[in-house]
Amino acid sequence: MSTTLKPASPPEAPTLPTPEKPGGRNPMAAHPALWLFPVPALVLYVTFFVIPTIQGVIYSVTDWDGFSPTAQFVGLDNFVTIFTSDDLFRNALSNNIKFMLVVVVFQTIFSLVLAVFLSKNSKSSVALRSVFFFPTILSSVSVAFIWKFVYDPNFGLINSVLEAVGLGRFQSAFLGNDNQAIYWVALTQVWFHVGQMMIIFIAGLQQIPQELYESAETDGASRWQQFRHITLPMVAPATAIVMAYTTVQSFKAFDLILGLGGNPPKSSLDILSTRIYSGFANSQFGYAAAESLVFMALIAAITWIQRRAVKASNPDA
Amino acid sequence: MSDQHSTISRRRILHGLGAVGLGGALSACVGPTITSRGSGTAAGGAAAQVLPAVKASPATGKVSFAHWRAEDKAVFDTLIATFVKANPQATVVQDISPSNDYQSTALQKIKGGTIGTAFVAFRGAQFVNMNKAGLYAGLGAQPFVDGYYAELIKAGQATSRAQMGLPYQLVFNMPIFNEDAFESAGVSSAPTDWDGFLSLCDRLKSKGLTPIAWPGGEPANSGQLINSMVMNNMPTDTAFADIEAGTRKVTDDWFLATLKQYQQLAPYFEANSTGTSSEPLQQLFASGKAGMLATGSFHIGAVRKLGAKFPVGLIAPITVSADKAKYEGIYNATFILGVNTAGSGQDAALKWLQFLSDPVNAGVYANGTSQHVTVKNVDYTNADLKHNAPWLAKKTLLAPRFQFNNLDIRAAVEAACVAVVGGTSPDQAAEKAQAVVDQKRK
Repeated sequence: MSTTLKPASPPEAPTLPTPEKPGGRNPMAAHPALWLFPVPALVLYVTFFVIPTIQGVIYSVTDWDGFSPTAQFVGLDNFVTIFTSDDLFRNALSNNIKFMLVVVVFQTIFSLVLAVFLSKNSKSSVALRSVFFFPTILSSVSVAFIWKFVYDPNFGLINSVLEAVGLGRFQSAFLGNDNQAIYWVALTQVWFHVGQMMIIFIAGLQQIPQELYESAETDGASRWQQFRHITLPMVAPATAIVMAYTTVQSFKAFDLILGLGGNPPKSSLDILSTRIYSGFANSQFGYAAAESLVFMALIAAITWIQRRAVKASNPDA
Repeated sequence: MSDQHSTISRRRILHGLGAVGLGGALSACVGPTITSRGSGTAAGGAAAQVLPAVKASPATGKVSFAHWRAEDKAVFDTLIATFVKANPQATVVQDISPSNDYQSTALQKIKGGTIGTAFVAFRGAQFVNMNKAGLYAGLGAQPFVDGYYAELIKAGQATSRAQMGLPYQLVFNMPIFNEDAFESAGVSSAPTDWDGFLSLCDRLKSKGLTPIAWPGGEPANSGQLINSMVMNNMPTDTAFADIEAGTRKVTDDWFLATLKQYQQLAPYFEANSTGTSSEPLQQLFASGKAGMLATGSFHIGAVRKLGAKFPVGLIAPITVSADKAKYEGIYNATFILGVNTAGSGQDAALKWLQFLSDPVNAGVYANGTSQHVTVKNVDYTNADLKHNAPWLAKKTLLAPRFQFNNLDIRAAVEAACVAVVGGTSPDQAAEKAQAVVDQKRK
């Protein structure tokens, strides 16, 4: 009788439940109760986003006044009117574009400059960052009231200072000058939010490896060249965020405009969001809903163009 | 692997479609019924419900009183306490929304009956639309309506002349003036024609005062002056309504004449008046540096709070010769009280309105808020109200600016006046305004 020795097999390891492999059974199918978890979020989303959006689309093709139990279907009439025979909408769009351009350009430049100077975590930089960030924590209404008094042509800060230093000839009616009014509000918006954008840029700047600057310095690059060829390309993602955010913010500067220009604002201060609000206040819910959809499409288009432009100028962004 | 992805993707699509379907179903439930094009008017509203005469029994149940005047809350609290004392089974709760939100948010809740068993509306577009939607229950059968000045509550009537709401507050939307400043300028009585008014402004200016403090940078208040500027220039009392209806134009002679008169007033306004808001001007007036504040009686309380000690009167520019003047001033009857047709508790709401219509209670409201009321036999104890009470009997016109039901049209017409003061020619300003009127009338 011969005995064949077999190598000892290792003791069997206790089996543990293993995670589902890709291609295995779906955990949602295995545990149907999991379906209940997203329900609260879904209910909130449907209630506060899906329903109002659908309602907006439905109202936009009606003449609903906001009160009547019935509304008449008017097809695309509201949209046709917006694009062909509504000077007030066109005026608001024009004001909004002027406002946006000033805000996007100046807010981006100022916040980047501030960020470059204050990106180091020294005590003075941190203190100055707080100073520049401070306006951001104020409410829009407070900011509007502060600047209403700054811009007041008779009792305001700017004209009083100009008068005091003998530059009275440069005094302005500010918000009372229809050609300038929207630009003065845009400057207020820049002052209001530049600190917030500065923080985004600082976060971007602090991600740039110091070695890049060190090697550039070794190669003899000047400060400007370092900024031009290292800083600017490396903060492009932050720039894209700042510009997109600022653009959307510019189109929605509703509270600041109403605070500075009153309700309803005069036509030189009317922007799209205040125009839409006027439509609702004017019991033209259907028309205002159509304006809202155009407004939404416009913001989406501008943001998309901006992102494409930033990507085209810096493919790594 | 790809199969797995496609399964999830399909599910997600189904979930999305489910959400959209649910949303659509729900949104269809909460919105208006949509009728097809050409199937009749969509704005007809519900037929008006007329409430039976109020009973003598005490009120029971809860009344939600929806309004926008947060500044009146304390006075209403006092009145509510008196009401509840007399009606122990009833409660009244104030649902106050800021005036900006009143139209856009609160009215939807009132319409749904969740708030506002008793509620109010502004005179003009808001009242017209709410009445059109059938929110106001008819008050024609109520005996307490006789306690109001009939002329002053017409703004609460439907086009059929049925009394739907009761305009409660009476304000004079015309300039207020510093009587001491006028006296020191040698002016003892209000001018009765346009030349006299310009001469008055000259005299005030020669005394180093700003003759007229006018908030041209704030449309809501700058527009008040247009009431008295057009009251005697208008060919008919409904000329602004006619502009909106398309039967008159902003470019008509009478309105161009008004714009030219604005041009004449420009040197008498504070410098850069088109950029000035009302708050600093209230301060200017309260400090005695301005002869007139071209807003309305509703600012008398504010200037008192700012320290004005001088007697304050009311004055309207008479823009024509004395023999052609039809009106001496302007009034507006607003804060239109009503009982909601939606929801329950109408009997208690009606009793609350009856309570407010009592001259004693109306007096508490008037004296506590420094506003006149449209109720008869009110004893005004507030010095300013008492001082200006003679205006209740003068020949005044219901503020014409509120004849505009389309706020864009009103803004365009009023903006023409501001533009003229800012240097635009009357013709250009009128044409620009007319262009907006033409577009918005469609």
